[in-house]
Amino acid sequence: MLGGFYASVALGLTLVFGLLNIVNIAHPAFVVLGSFLVYAANAQWGVDPIAMGVILTPLFFLLGMATYSVYHASFEKRDNESLRGLAFFFGLMFIIEVGLILQYGVDYRLVNAPYIGKVINLGSVTLPLRMLVPFCVALVMALGIFLFLSRTYLGRAIRAVAQDQLALQLVAADPVRIKRIAFGIAIATACVAGALLIVINPVEPAAGRVYIGRIFAIVVLGGMGSVRGTVAAAIVLGIVESVTSTIYSPSWAPAVAFGFLLFALAVRPAGLLRR
Amino acid sequence: MANSLHIENVVAGYGAARVLDGVSISVSAGETVGLLGTNGNGKSTLIKCIMGMVQPTAGTIRVEDDGRSVDLVGQTPEQVVESGIVLVPEGRRLFPDLTVGENMMLGAYRRTARADVERNRALCFDAFPVLKERQNQLAGSMSGGEQQMLAIARALMSSPKILIVDEPSVGLAPILVGRMMTKIKELKDQYGLTVLMAEQNFHQASRIVDRAYVIVGGRIAFEGKSAEELRNNELVKQYYLGGEA
Ligand SMILES: Nc1ncnc2c1ncn2[C@@H]1O[C@H](COP(=O)(O)OP(=O)(O)OP(=O)(O)O)[C@@H](O)[C@H]1O
Ligand SMILES: [Mg+2]
Repeated sequence: MLGGFYASVALGLTLVFGLLNIVNIAHPAFVVLGSFLVYAANAQWGVDPIAMGVILTPLFFLLGMATYSVYHASFEKRDNESLRGLAFFFGLMFIIEVGLILQYGVDYRLVNAPYIGKVINLGSVTLPLRMLVPFCVALVMALGIFLFLSRTYLGRAIRAVAQDQLALQLVAADPVRIKRIAFGIAIATACVAGALLIVINPVEPAAGRVYIGRIFAIVVLGGMGSVRGTVAAAIVLGIVESVTSTIYSPSWAPAVAFGFLLFALAVRPAGLLRR
Repeated sequence: MANSLHIENVVAGYGAARVLDGVSISVSAGETVGLLGTNGNGKSTLIKCIMGMVQPTAGTIRVEDDGRSVDLVGQTPEQVVESGIVLVPEGRRLFPDLTVGENMMLGAYRRTARADVERNRALCFDAFPVLKERQNQLAGSMSGGEQQMLAIARALMSSPKILIVDEPSVGLAPILVGRMMTKIKELKDQYGLTVLMAEQNFHQASRIVDRAYVIVGGRIAFEGKSAEELRNNELVKQYYLGGEA
């Protein structure tokens, strides 16, 4: 179940890191930013968190486009993207975190919604709705992104842009515009993922950090840029983590999960599913 | 559909290295014009100037489109393609990790080509049946000949008015070169295209061109008004018939 949430976070990174080769380590910070805006709306007006996450996507889309434009103008265009670009996203992560701390403090925040706290019973298993609802939302979002990437002109151009920018220009597509839009979409998915995160458990401003390693690993394991692979890898990792924490202890879960990822990559370097 | 290309006194190069030294050529509507020359004489550089991939330091490049004259200098490749001039680039430049079908669909990205996508696809599959069979195969896993077909198909998907082809024969077996030339001629007739083709393979190119320019050291050394005139020229004989015959 946790895998669904992982998928929702990793999806944006699949676009940006898997398809555009941009190492956006601030992605989980955008997710947490989404969580807090959803929290604010929920606390103030009682808006449903997931609905709020969806309502905020246009705003995050624009935020993502603006972020890419700054990144492009200051790093990519000057051809020193790798290391200094990383510093840029690291800085961005800090700015988001500090901004959230100044605004909301360091406490954990949570939201209220009718489905939080309810469970459904399927025979012997009980499924908490606060896990099931995010899982379904994540799958719907993944399906949407999958169809967008495979069926639309823009989606195909996004998948092509890292392969050959000049060739893309020769089919009349502007690579910078394509990347800007892809980045915007990725950040828009982060906002929905943020809503899912705060439905699943309480969130504090630096909560994104624990996920950075896991999310990058999922994208790599998913085959760099494959939506289906990302979802599969996220679900597998979610299962491995929950099995570990029930059998051993929750503190072991991340270590075992990483061990599993390394093992899986050693066996299948191209990822779980080939694109 | 009047579309013609007029290039006058173009000077261009890379950094300090001057590659084109005052090149003038023109391609009239409906013509197939060859741009012939051996390695490193500036064929691709001239094509890059037309496509906006290299900016000339002097000279003019204009396209006449239904009585309107458009200046291409200073435009980006996207803008040039949007205006109907489509290139099959040197080295093909396919998207290797996308399928054959997806590469073709990217050809139709151009705004005016989207309305014709189904018709163009049918025409391409008709011209190159192997592409239909291999629709779901990754472009990078195709043979050189198949990739060249795909590169041409992708360009046709853009509904070109003027098609520029840079060395379609490179990397093809001799028997395939002939077939490729015949195919280009067929497609040109079928689509009513205007074609500019760079080639080193003089014999094969001269079979399909209406006339041709020979480029040597960044200058037009000879202009053959017909394929016949081209074959009988001393310079051409010296360059090609002596060398590779
Ligand atoms: N990107 C570049 N930077 C510097 N010099 C270049 C570049 N591209 C081409 N040149 C030089 O410009 C000259 C002309 O190259 P060009 O590619 O136009 O030749 P060509 O006629 O297309 O040859 P070929 O038949 O080998 O493709 C060559 O001397 C080449 O070394
Ligand atoms: Mg060349």
